Amino acid sequence: MSDHPYVPEIAVDREGNEYEVQGWQGDFFGGKFGFWLFMLTEIMMFGAMFMVLTYYFTLHHDDFINASASLNRTLGGFNTVVLLISALTMGLGLLKMRHGDVKGSKLMIWATILLALVFLGVKAVEWTAEYNHGIFLGLPALQGGLPESKPFGEIMFFGMYFTMTGLHGVHIIIGIGLMLWLLKRINAEKVTPEHYILHFNLALYWDLVHLIWVFVFPYYYMIGAGLSTGGH
Amino acid sequence: MSKSYLDLGETHCAIGHPKTAFWQWMLTVDHKRIGIMYAAVMFVFFFVAVFTALMMRIELFAPGAQFLDGDTFNQAFTLHGVLMIFLFIIPGIPAIFGNIVMPLMIGAKDVSFPRLNWATFWLYIFGCLVALTSLFNFNITEGEVLFNFADTGWTFYAPYSLNTGTNVVTTLVAAFILGMASILTGLNFLVTIHRLRAPGMGFFQMPLFVWGIYATAWIQLLATPVVGITLILAIMEKYFGIGIFDPSKGGDPVLFQHLFWIYSHPAVYLMILPAFGIMSEIIPVFSRREIFGYRTIALSSASIAGIGYLVWGHHLFTSGMSDLAKTIFSFLTFFVAIPTGIKFYDWIATMYKGKIILDSPMLWALGTIVTFAIGGLTGVTIAMVGSDIHLQDTYYSVAHFHYAILGGVVFLLFAGMHYWFPLVTGKFYKESTAKVAFYLNFVGINLLWFPMFIAGYLGMPRRYFDYLPEFEIYHQVSGVGAIVIISGLVLMFYNFLSSWKSGEAAPVNPWGATTLEWYTPTSPPPLENHSKVPYVDFGPYEYHHAEPKVKFDLATMKRID
Amino acid sequence: MATTKTYEEERAGYFKVLIGLLVLTAVTLIQPTMFLENATFGVQMFIGVIKAWMIVMYYMHMKGEKLIGASVIFAMFLVAFFFVIVMIDVNHFQFGDVSHITSEVTSAGGSSASKH
Repeated sequence: MSDHPYVPEIAVDREGNEYEVQGWQGDFFGGKFGFWLFMLTEIMMFGAMFMVLTYYFTLHHDDFINASASLNRTLGGFNTVVLLISALTMGLGLLKMRHGDVKGSKLMIWATILLALVFLGVKAVEWTAEYNHGIFLGLPALQGGLPESKPFGEIMFFGMYFTMTGLHGVHIIIGIGLMLWLLKRINAEKVTPEHYILHFNLALYWDLVHLIWVFVFPYYYMIGAGLSTGGH
Repeated sequence: MSKSYLDLGETHCAIGHPKTAFWQWMLTVDHKRIGIMYAAVMFVFFFVAVFTALMMRIELFAPGAQFLDGDTFNQAFTLHGVLMIFLFIIPGIPAIFGNIVMPLMIGAKDVSFPRLNWATFWLYIFGCLVALTSLFNFNITEGEVLFNFADTGWTFYAPYSLNTGTNVVTTLVAAFILGMASILTGLNFLVTIHRLRAPGMGFFQMPLFVWGIYATAWIQLLATPVVGITLILAIMEKYFGIGIFDPSKGGDPVLFQHLFWIYSHPAVYLMILPAFGIMSEIIPVFSRREIFGYRTIALSSASIAGIGYLVWGHHLFTSGMSDLAKTIFSFLTFFVAIPTGIKFYDWIATMYKGKIILDSPMLWALGTIVTFAIGGLTGVTIAMVGSDIHLQDTYYSVAHFHYAILGGVVFLLFAGMHYWFPLVTGKFYKESTAKVAFYLNFVGINLLWFPMFIAGYLGMPRRYFDYLPEFEIYHQVSGVGAIVIISGLVLMFYNFLSSWKSGEAAPVNPWGATTLEWYTPTSPPPLENHSKVPYVDFGPYEYHHAEPKVKFDLATMKRID
Repeated sequence: MATTKTYEEERAGYFKVLIGLLVLTAVTLIQPTMFLENATFGVQMFIGVIKAWMIVMYYMHMKGEKLIGASVIFAMFLVAFFFVIVMIDVNHFQFGDVSHITSEVTSAGGSSASKH
């Protein structure tokens, strides 16, 4: 916007004391606070979805347990660990940036992107397996009133399962896109060890993506894990 | 001649340094210009929605079909609701005066994220365009255009909204985009108010309009995502059949209502809180004295925002909620009336022994005290479960919310437009015309809506295309009221537009107010707002013998009192 | 903005949190078949809350942030309130016997011994 470097204004009171005026430019805390506020909207959104899930868990308790038992805990657990490590690599990337190791920082960002792609790949494998078992949006098992229809509770479970893991996956894809953009900004020296609010906020974003999974995983995969028919 | 923010070249742009006036408006990040653009677009949609309402009033003037059929009538009230709520009143006062006035009031040069503000405005425009596309189906091969707007009511209740053949999904997508714009505005304002207040201005030295915008911003931020996800779930239901609102798959339509109203009830507080902020600005200025109970009014704004999140179930009293839930919601709903009542008493106390000046902004404010009192109190009558069972979905509820929204929010928006007209344009409107317009509006709203309380009480259902002959007299009186209020609206806008073009020039701070937005060196303000950010060691409403106590040399912002 | 910790200290802190999170993940994986099986849902959510708290406090640096912490708590409170009231409503559902979505239906796709 402005090509001139920003110089903060000084306000003077009646005694002559000087106070620096906080401008909208160069406000690190403002940038951080603003991004946290955005993340609160994501919490409200996913929170409402968990509420819908709990609503139907209450109405259809046993169906939910059965449906949960049929999910693949090996793949789900693997993905949990992948995402966990990716949160670490993202954090290390920011740490290195703040301490001047730009090269190491970029390496960590690439590592995070890789792990995110692995996560998406495993998700694709899971969804394909579910599709091959006849469980997918639009297929007869999840319609009402057909001979192949699953019980109501299982239809609700899988409807929300695909919606929530799908939305979570969309957030991962967006995250990958943002990380590629961040790499570009680092190369253009717009993100530096002195000026790294973008990197900071992206790391927060990635932690949020991980946070959502922290609840998605047990709620969908683990509540039915105690059943003897669990897992495949 | 000093330059103001409206002059050519006097603006900051998001992209590049355009030379033409057109591109300077399109790309401007200046909060003052963005507020004006919001107003221009919003009022176009406002008048379209008013026109839709007029069509309905004419149709309903007599029983039986006049010129609309039942299906088109359903589309008419849906269109009226969608335009009025999503495109007009929810962006509403924050988009216009939150943008133009709030940064000036706290001594800031702009909001915390001006480029985000610019992008948000265009996101809003995009949402409006998507909403417009949902009006029609274009059959290109046969060259026909079919009016296929949603016919579900603006509340889009499942399962009908998911089974109807009208363009519901496009409207839901538009609502989602518009919701995003609302969230981002709230986010921007929250950071601005926390970070950019002038040195010395603590939260309890801020003007009450800023408090109103602040409380509203929390609602914009935290409540809107819930309706966002509701709309996404509805779209998933429609296209992927996930079944969560579909009883044939075990889904529960009442859940849709819960999710929808978890946002839409706080949304009405989002509408009224900035309006109450405007009232708190106008009353002290036109009573020439400090506001009574500043801290109480400030904290009541915060409590209304807080408690307002907790009461949504009163929209579901007749939908099959459990009795226990109904009782809890009724109890909480009574609570939310209390902070509003406190505000009313504080405003009246401010006027006591004040030097009352009955200029048009004050007329609008006083008129609103009457109309919003009616709107608010009738809300309390239907907060009782027993009475709501009979009055839900009758003209009684419709009269209640129009008195509250039109007679509260919109009237105060008009009050603010009169009050801040000299600030925004540097001109005066014609006061005599403004007074006539006010009285037309005030008489009109009461003629239009008061009979509906009675009709509703006697059983006239809402959203009905036809009715029994015993209700005809009420519809006829309302019809006359509609004509009166519309003439008032047209006269008022004619006054604004012609005065902006060729009205008398207004000096700086023509009303003798005490808040910082009036302390700019030129009228209208320059691009960079104040000549220098002052140190604020004074309250927002300090009057001494009916004159502002704090005086500045506006060119240097040095204190001279 | 600047931390008082050195690079090594911060890095070590991140790894400590990682180990904690991995341990808790292992616990969630074995719990349903090992201990407190009757309370699986509660235990899983409880562990989730602990993991979330660790991530928010340490990875997201919320420890020591007053305004942001207060905002997060406010939002969480709202979500919790929505949950509580809606669950109260659905737990006191009065039409369970006659509602299509909860009563025993003979056709395929009906609910199977659902509501408690």
